[in-house]
Amino acid sequence: MQFEEPPALESEPQPALADFVEAPPPNPQRNIPQIFEGRLHPLTIVFGLVKGARVLLPIIPLFFFGKGRGAAVAFSVAAVATIVSALARYFSFRYRIERGELIIESGIIERRHRSIPIERVQEIRVEQGVVHRLLGVVDATVETGGGGGAEATLSVLSRAEYERLRQFVFERPRVAANDTTGAEVVAAPEDEIIRRLGLRDLVVAGLTSNHWLSAVALAGALWNFADDIIPDTYYLRATNYLVRNAKLLAVRDVETAVIGALLGLLAVLLIGMVFSVAGTVLLFHGFTLSQRGDYLRRRYGLLTRRASNLPRRRIQVLEIEEKLVRRLFGFATLRADTSGGAREGEDDNEGRDVLLPIARREEIDRLAPSLLPDFAGEQSEWRRVSRLAIRRGVLKGALVCLAAAVASVALQRTAVALWPLAVVPLVWWMNVKSYHHLGYALGPRYLQTRRGWLGRSTHIVPIHKIQAVELHQTPFDRRLGLARLSIDTAGQAYTSGGPQISNLPIDEARAIARTLAQQAAKIRYKW
Amino acid sequence: MEAESPIQFPSATEPIPAFRPIDPRVVPMWRLVDVIGNAVIFAALLVVLFIPKVAKFGHRPWMFACWGSLLVATVLFDLWWRGRDYRAWGFRLDERVLEIRSGVLFQRMRLLPLSRLQHVDIRSGPFERRFGLASLVLHTAGTHAASIAIPGLDANEAVRLRDHLVAIGGDDAV
Repeated sequence: MQFEEPPALESEPQPALADFVEAPPPNPQRNIPQIFEGRLHPLTIVFGLVKGARVLLPIIPLFFFGKGRGAAVAFSVAAVATIVSALARYFSFRYRIERGELIIESGIIERRHRSIPIERVQEIRVEQGVVHRLLGVVDATVETGGGGGAEATLSVLSRAEYERLRQFVFERPRVAANDTTGAEVVAAPEDEIIRRLGLRDLVVAGLTSNHWLSAVALAGALWNFADDIIPDTYYLRATNYLVRNAKLLAVRDVETAVIGALLGLLAVLLIGMVFSVAGTVLLFHGFTLSQRGDYLRRRYGLLTRRASNLPRRRIQVLEIEEKLVRRLFGFATLRADTSGGAREGEDDNEGRDVLLPIARREEIDRLAPSLLPDFAGEQSEWRRVSRLAIRRGVLKGALVCLAAAVASVALQRTAVALWPLAVVPLVWWMNVKSYHHLGYALGPRYLQTRRGWLGRSTHIVPIHKIQAVELHQTPFDRRLGLARLSIDTAGQAYTSGGPQISNLPIDEARAIARTLAQQAAKIRYKW
Repeated sequence: MEAESPIQFPSATEPIPAFRPIDPRVVPMWRLVDVIGNAVIFAALLVVLFIPKVAKFGHRPWMFACWGSLLVATVLFDLWWRGRDYRAWGFRLDERVLEIRSGVLFQRMRLLPLSRLQHVDIRSGPFERRFGLASLVLHTAGTHAASIAIPGLDANEAVRLRDHLVAIGGDDAV
């Protein structure tokens, strides 16, 4: 076997490679120190104690009512341990930025030292609960491309300290990408608000979200909670009252009973909607997406305020998601996968991935270019996949209908039982519809794919973020000469399995795959 | 807005190197692994037949016939399958992209831009070492294809291939 010699050093443009690799050039304007040192806010001790107390509180009754001295001793030991560990955490925790690395040291007995190259920092998220807000401190989380979750948690920092850290990590003097002399420095611009969501937007988002069911579950949980407080006798009386009246109703006439049941259902739905709206407002209140230089900032939350800074160039995949209800009303949600903080399988209820919870589809189309670098000049046309997609979809659907018809006939032997077969034309129509929404657009810098008719999703992938391209062919695919193309990028967690194109003619699929891989290889991957 | 004419991709016209097969010695190695695996399973099945509770029903000849024919079928299938599987594996390399194909029924082609390689491992288990083989495991920062393995490479070739890949893709060092 012979391999070609490795090519000589490539002369391809490597935009701003020197950004973070070396310590930043000293900037006389802003006078940022070369070595940045920081500590947690002293309130860390208080928060640590409160956290410990929460564990210890349930033991206190034991302390008072316990007969032996054992309980008292155990409690004292635990209390002392809590205090010592809270103090130790505060006094031993130190972080600094040195030669392009964020270094975090903690622990007294077991010293832990962690260093994170700053160029790998994806995002710094902050969270501020109600108490945090009153005290002016934040929980900061530094995410990197590791994908295993937070790389470092700085809890708690003063607001000013966080601001200093954020500026140091994200706003260090950067050489302009198109400036070859490297002499000019981009000054940190002001926040430029891209979109702010008002209460009306959030109410619409809540009403059109698919989370009604989870809202009902929340209502159930509240019920459970109330159950603990309300005395059992009252509870029993209410049930008796309800049962008695229901019986009376059912005896009197069926119609009233049915109407009652329907009203009950409606009430549940209404409650669900109220909770859904309340949940959305609580989570996303005051949602502001703004742009500051090269990165996007999000701020949201009514009680717990959340904020994050996401460099635009770290968006791995952008997804425009139009779920059924939202699509009917012309709304969409904008999500992004970043290579930091991939938490597959973890239920996300903090809106981490959401760039914009709700907006008109046209508005998102208008905004997308400002969210992705160089997307504005992208020239590409939408292309369709093989028409065989319709045939396959119809065949699959027809088989399901046939199975349903057979089962139905087996149950009741009448001609009416064949009704599932009548659905076949509908299946055909749906497949034709969804075929027309299936497609891809390949440009010099971005690949876009879209699929789905009732609920649609559009993915936009920067080609240089592609990690691997895969072609799959099932035996059926081979018979029809088709293939499925899937794109692997870092941190795919939120955009429903990443971009895929099914039912591509095999030659076309091969050509796309090769083009993508070649294009991706030409540009060095930057985190 | 949709176009039906075949698209002209720049790289589709470039000459593409042919797929390289993996080392044929991997087939006897796979078969040896199969033999050992099957021996364990079928010995266990035979033991089940002699468990007192089962033996109570008598050792009917058909039981052993079933066992024997299952054994023959498995062995024949494995012999054939490993040959097919071997032929399905292949890879090719140009200056920028490593392409790996595999799979008999469900065929897969994976294209790896070399500049996305995070690191490359060489793996060789006890069987592979006996046959002078090794597997190459390629790691990317991706989610689903985070590690891709090429099995059945000559051990020396695996080292050379790794060095080559690292030299090409490696200067974006972690």
